[in-house]
Amino acid sequence: MDSRQALFWHTHIYDLPRSDGAFLAACRDNAAYHIAHCPDYAAICAHQGFAPEQLRTVEDLAKIPVIPTLFFKRRTLFSMPEERFAMKVTSSGTSGKFSQIGFDWGCILAEAPMVMRLGAWHGLVSPVPSHCVVLGYQPHKDNHTGVTRTMFGLTFFSPPLGRTYALKRQDGAYLPDLDSVAAALKKYARSPFPTRIVGFPSYLYFGLRRMEELGLRVRLRPGSRIILAGGWKQHYAQEVDKPTLYALAKRVLGVEEDHIHELFGAVEHPIFYNSCKNHHFHIPIYARVLIRDPDTLEPLPMGQVGLINLITPLMKATPTLSVMTDDLGCLMPGKTCGCGLKSPYLTILGRVGMADITTCAAGAAELLGIE
Amino acid sequence: MIFAHGQLLPDSALPALLEGLEGEINETRETRTLTPETVIAALDTLGRRLASGELDELLRQYLPAGVDPAALLPLLSRESLEHKLRTELGEDPFAPREMARTTARLSPLGTLLHVAAGNMPGLPVYSVVEGLLTGNVNLLKLPRGDRGLSLAALKLLTDQAPELAPFVYAFDLPSTDQKTLARLAGLCDGVVTWGGEGAVSGVRALAPAGCKLIEWGHRLGFVYISGQPTEEELADLARHIITTGQHLCSSCQTIFLNGENWGAGEDFCRRFLPILEAAAAQNRPKWGGAQASLSGYTALLERIVDKKATNERLFSGKGCSLILRPDRELELSPMEGNVLVKLLPARDLLPTLRRQRGRLQTAGLLCPREEREKLTALLLRAGVTRVTRAGGLSEAFPGEAHDGEYPLRRYTRIVDVEK
Repeated sequence: MDSRQALFWHTHIYDLPRSDGAFLAACRDNAAYHIAHCPDYAAICAHQGFAPEQLRTVEDLAKIPVIPTLFFKRRTLFSMPEERFAMKVTSSGTSGKFSQIGFDWGCILAEAPMVMRLGAWHGLVSPVPSHCVVLGYQPHKDNHTGVTRTMFGLTFFSPPLGRTYALKRQDGAYLPDLDSVAAALKKYARSPFPTRIVGFPSYLYFGLRRMEELGLRVRLRPGSRIILAGGWKQHYAQEVDKPTLYALAKRVLGVEEDHIHELFGAVEHPIFYNSCKNHHFHIPIYARVLIRDPDTLEPLPMGQVGLINLITPLMKATPTLSVMTDDLGCLMPGKTCGCGLKSPYLTILGRVGMADITTCAAGAAELLGIE
Repeated sequence: MIFAHGQLLPDSALPALLEGLEGEINETRETRTLTPETVIAALDTLGRRLASGELDELLRQYLPAGVDPAALLPLLSRESLEHKLRTELGEDPFAPREMARTTARLSPLGTLLHVAAGNMPGLPVYSVVEGLLTGNVNLLKLPRGDRGLSLAALKLLTDQAPELAPFVYAFDLPSTDQKTLARLAGLCDGVVTWGGEGAVSGVRALAPAGCKLIEWGHRLGFVYISGQPTEEELADLARHIITTGQHLCSSCQTIFLNGENWGAGEDFCRRFLPILEAAAAQNRPKWGGAQASLSGYTALLERIVDKKATNERLFSGKGCSLILRPDRELELSPMEGNVLVKLLPARDLLPTLRRQRGRLQTAGLLCPREEREKLTALLLRAGVTRVTRAGGLSEAFPGEAHDGEYPLRRYTRIVDVEK
């Protein structure tokens, strides 16, 4: 079995020290693969004096050239011909630009045990069929965003009885329809089966507020769950604190806090981070996370705030071994969480204020959507 | 949100508004005249309210961090507005002028569509103000990411002087809504575009034939240094670079050093980097360096991939960097406090800058007093339209032209009537 599959089929999903050897081996192989197959990536490694053999301990992971997600929005890097991709996915492109990331078949094969093991661990997997409400985009052949694919995938953790979408496709565009979601929830509350709500936290919040304004309150069946993915996106300014959202969900839908799951991931780093019962994202064995100094990009010690560097040897079609998002966050020791998991957890504090760089010189073309 | 009739309206009001817009504008143009005095009086009063601190609460909500509303005050005063009118259009500009057989008169162009860029807060409103000063009906397409500052300012303005309301409309259109933009452009006598080449050609495609195109586009600012600048000059330059984030047309993208000695270039970078670091530390919010680091590092990766990073020397500071490059071209920096430094002897200045002729605007000049006149003339001959001191690249000077022209002249026409 190759080193990547060995890591992703590992059974102790939160035991980082135990997986360190397998993780390093997989990173070495992954780096060597991209250096051999992607000349641009090889040039970056050469410029930074990096060679895969340098990865001997977990501390060495900081030496892997880190690629900002911003870079993938400007350049497309692939390490295999596109006809060998399992699929090509685009990031959701909040700021008007999006990146293209290729997924290879080996990556899909490795993701399967990761998602099933983590899903089972966090209680997402259930044999009881459920109604699905997706507070996100209805899939369509022209929609290649990762988040649409993820949300659709999340409806399969229990056998879906049907799906209602908050963003419906009409005449080639997406239109929000929270009112029909509210009507569906009312109907599902009378069904013998539980309901699963999958979606953007912002849509859940606005949807629940709308229901409360309309005086709509339902009691979803026991076993109903809310699974949140995709971040707050353009609604950052109106971000609410999590306890407010949990209280609202309990009031309007009757779903308890411990049945609300949050997920984190990125198209460039499709690791299935799940929140623990204290709503923290502990790092599973498939990834390592570094926090880098905002001023110098040097790795910071545990507990300090900086740019988030995500590392995983999952993908071969695109050199995403070590990527940096434009979010600020911090890493805390697992034992300070209290949920029992020893693996450190990641807290995302917000986006670096660069989402909307619009300049004279860089051109106002994008203001008009003219490329 | 939409702004029309002096009111903020929800986006859902757009179809009905568009339906009646042509009729409304025609009625305004047929029955109303806007004098500069109305606009000046309203702005002057607003300026005084701003100075009194009455509007602080409101502004805090909309102004991005680091923008000081006090910097706007001089632009809003009666004195400076009257000075602007006089400078750009002459004494008593709207009075009739008697010619041998005709009477000539300055008239508004008619209806203007402003397609504003989002890099400078307040610019969309300023563009509309220029349209109002010349008596035009103004339709504003808000830039993406305008977080309400423009709408709030327009509301304040028309609340202050309700007679301005029929002359101002603003639309927060999604960038993809070309159909509506084309419809708005179809109602206009002139389209004012702020932005890069892409935006300009995009708007050209939308404007009907015969519609006047007024394009304020795509400029690259730079600094030219001859000799050894003082510490104070370098501190002013550093503050300019950090506080504008190099986002403006006038912001410094490239620092040119008069000379050919690579070692002198390295010496300059070693001297300037700590000064730039100090300016970054002083003028940025906590963790504000993240943007600079990401931007500078991403640009480095792009240069590596483009095989351009081999002969350069990178001086990395905390939340800023200087990139000493072997070529001489004026080009866009990675911005956010990451500045290009290049060697350009004065004898090669003109031919080098001529290659960027359409993009020249502001040059900051740091040099010994005895060289100033000669180097200024050289920069102007090369095509630069503004020459400033070290810290003033992006300052607004009273009475100055824009990209070598007086905007108000372009928003008006001269009409002749035979006696």
